[in-house]
Amino acid sequence: MVKEEKMIKITDLEKFYRTEEVETVALNKLSLEVKKGEFVAIMGPSGCGKSTLLNIIGMLDDPDGGSYVFNGTEIAHYSERKRADLRKHNIGFVFQSFNLIDELTVFENVELPLIYTGVAAADRAKRVEEVLDKMQIMHRRNHYPQQLSGGQQQRVAIARAVVNKPKLILADEPTGNLDSSNGNEVMELLTDLNEQGTTIVMVTHSEHDARYSHRIIRLLDGHTVMENIMI
Amino acid sequence: MIFLYITNEFSVDSFHQKGKNIYRVMRGYDATKARVPYLSGPYGPALLNDYPKDIKKAVRVMPTQALITLGNNSFNEKNVYAVDPSFFELFSFGLIKGNVSSVLKDPHSIVLTETTAKKYFGSTDPVGKVIEMDKSLQLKVTGVVRDVPSNSHLNFTMVMPITNYTNEEWFTKWRNNNEFVYVELNEGVNPAQLEKQFPTFMDKYMGKDLAQMHAHFDLALTPLKDIYFEESSSFDNVKHGDKKVVYIFLSIAVLILVIACINFMNLATLRAVERSKEVGLRKVLGAMRNSLIGQFIGESVLLTLIACVFAIALLLLIMPWYNGLLGYSLAISWNSPAIYLFLLGVILFVGFLAGSYPAFFLSSFTPIQALKGKLQLGKGGAFFRQALVVVQFSISVFLIISTIMIKKQMSFVKSKDLGYSKEQTIVVPINNGDIYNNRISFKNELMAHSNVESVAMMSGEPGGYYDRHSFEVEGQHETYNARTEFADFEYVKTLGLKIVAGRDFSPKFATDTTGSVLINETAAQQLGFTPAQAVGKWIIDNMRDSNRRHIVGVVKDFNFLSLKENMDALVISPAEDSRVAVIKLKPGNVTAGLNIIKQAYTKAAPAYPMEYTFLDQKFDTTYKADLRQQTILSVFSGLAIFIACLGLFGLASFTAGKRTKEIGVRKVLGSSVQNILILLSGDMLKPVLVATVIAIPLGYYSADKWLQNFAYRTPMHWWVFGLAAIITFGIAIFTVSFQSLKAALANPVKSLRSE
Repeated sequence: MVKEEKMIKITDLEKFYRTEEVETVALNKLSLEVKKGEFVAIMGPSGCGKSTLLNIIGMLDDPDGGSYVFNGTEIAHYSERKRADLRKHNIGFVFQSFNLIDELTVFENVELPLIYTGVAAADRAKRVEEVLDKMQIMHRRNHYPQQLSGGQQQRVAIARAVVNKPKLILADEPTGNLDSSNGNEVMELLTDLNEQGTTIVMVTHSEHDARYSHRIIRLLDGHTVMENIMI
Repeated sequence: MIFLYITNEFSVDSFHQKGKNIYRVMRGYDATKARVPYLSGPYGPALLNDYPKDIKKAVRVMPTQALITLGNNSFNEKNVYAVDPSFFELFSFGLIKGNVSSVLKDPHSIVLTETTAKKYFGSTDPVGKVIEMDKSLQLKVTGVVRDVPSNSHLNFTMVMPITNYTNEEWFTKWRNNNEFVYVELNEGVNPAQLEKQFPTFMDKYMGKDLAQMHAHFDLALTPLKDIYFEESSSFDNVKHGDKKVVYIFLSIAVLILVIACINFMNLATLRAVERSKEVGLRKVLGAMRNSLIGQFIGESVLLTLIACVFAIALLLLIMPWYNGLLGYSLAISWNSPAIYLFLLGVILFVGFLAGSYPAFFLSSFTPIQALKGKLQLGKGGAFFRQALVVVQFSISVFLIISTIMIKKQMSFVKSKDLGYSKEQTIVVPINNGDIYNNRISFKNELMAHSNVESVAMMSGEPGGYYDRHSFEVEGQHETYNARTEFADFEYVKTLGLKIVAGRDFSPKFATDTTGSVLINETAAQQLGFTPAQAVGKWIIDNMRDSNRRHIVGVVKDFNFLSLKENMDALVISPAEDSRVAVIKLKPGNVTAGLNIIKQAYTKAAPAYPMEYTFLDQKFDTTYKADLRQQTILSVFSGLAIFIACLGLFGLASFTAGKRTKEIGVRKVLGSSVQNILILLSGDMLKPVLVATVIAIPLGYYSADKWLQNFAYRTPMHWWVFGLAAIITFGIAIFTVSFQSLKAALANPVKSLRSE
């Protein structure tokens, strides 16, 4: 299943947070690779740099040093505009707190990435319906996020993440706000997506969730300390 | 500011102790026109004599101007009142020196206001000193009176006994207009009953004259307190207020206060989210809802109190500018309890109004909701806030439309072709004996100079004084009413009028001086003639004599009245009623021309300083009240929109803050900065759009009403409303985009990190 072609190649990545008095090292010459079709879990204690790494992989943040090659292109020094363009066509995000927009319905939330990538209205409706159907949330299409349970909200968030058919899904503690039953359902969904060819990088504190991945990368103080290949 | 202004306007003449029994006698001459206050000398004593049971006192007031000389210094005093000796007994102007009942008994006495006394005598006591009036009368200062307050319709610098004129021939004629007559009625006398007796009075004294003139005069009494708000006109040159301006001022003040209260309510409600933990904690610790409501309203009242202190400081700072805007000096009477009561009322009312919504809103949360900081400003609240923004911007757009329309009308009036030539033309009043006696030599002196195109003597310059007379006209059965102009032969040439039929006055025709008139097109039309038909017809001015004069020419209509009045009929007759000299200079150096006029004037009236105005500047005086309205509206609509934008800015910054997460999510999903800007600004501008739609018809209606004041109106073009909308949107977009841009440029990682 796992293809050998590299999707992500990170080398000696550095990221610092500076305040007036203190400089904190978030990523300390971190290197890693993720192949296309791989499902990787990133684990580590709070403050080890997991989320920072995920943000840089997701092109939401700049590294301060090192190299980041995405699909064979060096993007470490890309402009905000170029990164945004690359991001919206290639990456889907799933957050711990779902990050759905309260003022928009389920349908509108899922439709949003398609609007930003310029998909025509008729085509958008079709694709949103497909993905809602697939996530078994179609009957809630006209509801607002606050009318849904946590599990349902995360399904909507996943639907939104995949509607643009991204090559990579970045999930930041996707089950963190869910009970175990809903958490398992979400992990099943991610596994399905991965099996259909989507590369997934997931940050988690949960050993249980990490076991759904092919590989676990453990971080401490901003660099890799261990990698476990899951059998 | 507005309170002071309105208090002052409505308190005019209220300081006279006998005020409730004082009336001004008004004379009516045409049922369709407003009455005029000018009467002749015999009216006062005759009224007192004929109605002794009703009228306690009758005081004549003749406004005049005089050259006052003291030693080597001469001043042209414009506000000299010649009055009956009981003037200070009737009116409470507050004599500082002298006795109210005897101060004007001696015909050679004079009373000065404090400022005038200082002007002539410095710090020395003026009583007993002698000043010279018009190089002929020696008057001894017998009293000093307090300066006339700004809330008085009468306004003088010197008061002298009218007895100096009572033996003059002109003074004793019933048919004359030179003074006001004020009467004090006895206690319990009904003025309406007294008015019913006036037709008999008029018949007794003027019956024959009126029959001969084919005219009808009637008399009426205006209560002292109503004089100020009577319509101002060239027939009544005391100080008048304009109720319309007062109401416009009041409305703007209320609107601005509403806008400011809305801002406070909106921002205080938005701050509720930040203060939710405080509210929760207070509730957990035992605070009851009432005490929380009290706390928030108390805060609001305190804030209003502080604002009031700042407002008073600001008021004192800008008082000189404000007085300039109002056109008179306004005094703050800190001794009056009214001002403190008003301030207290404002603090309590505004404080409660502005604080009530947030107070009730904040105190309604349950402690758990509040402590968790999960307060939601519900959809209903959002709608309410948007509605308040709509109200604010409706007011702003409305004020902008009004300002543009007033500006447009004023510029229309300014640029309208009035039908006469007003460029390079100087008006010199013939207002003293010397210049009047030497007017012919003055004119000849000017005409001899190459810089002078022409000079005409007339009874009123365009925009000035035009009396109304009744006429008999050949072929007409009814008496005909028209305005009159008495002028010399250079009238048409100097004003650049066009003759459409017949000819101009000419010295070539021996009968022109006594037997000719010109009329305007409107007069010809009203008489049922074409201009050509009118020429040659005879006409009799009933109020002048019984001579038949002939119409020798018809002039093209020109706007000799204000553009607020419709074109009226005009009869121009050669006569020696010279009240102004209108001097047309040849194109070129105006300053040189003016010097020539000054030299000629000094020769003709060496004791008097020359006064002059440019005919094209008449605009500013004719439309003074309208220009003031324009300034007031411009300033306050600017203020209104500024305050509304402060509110919008606060709301935009709150909205941007509240939507940080959403903006972050949208950016993560691929939204560009432009998309975010459009989204945020668009949402904020929706209420502005609604406000514009609401304000446009209101603005149209009110501008249309205001334009009814003018007989000649600028059209209401659609672009006025478009421009108002663009100005409002421009300012609103500028206000909102700052916050929106800040939000759109923020790093989404930061906005989502808190999650």
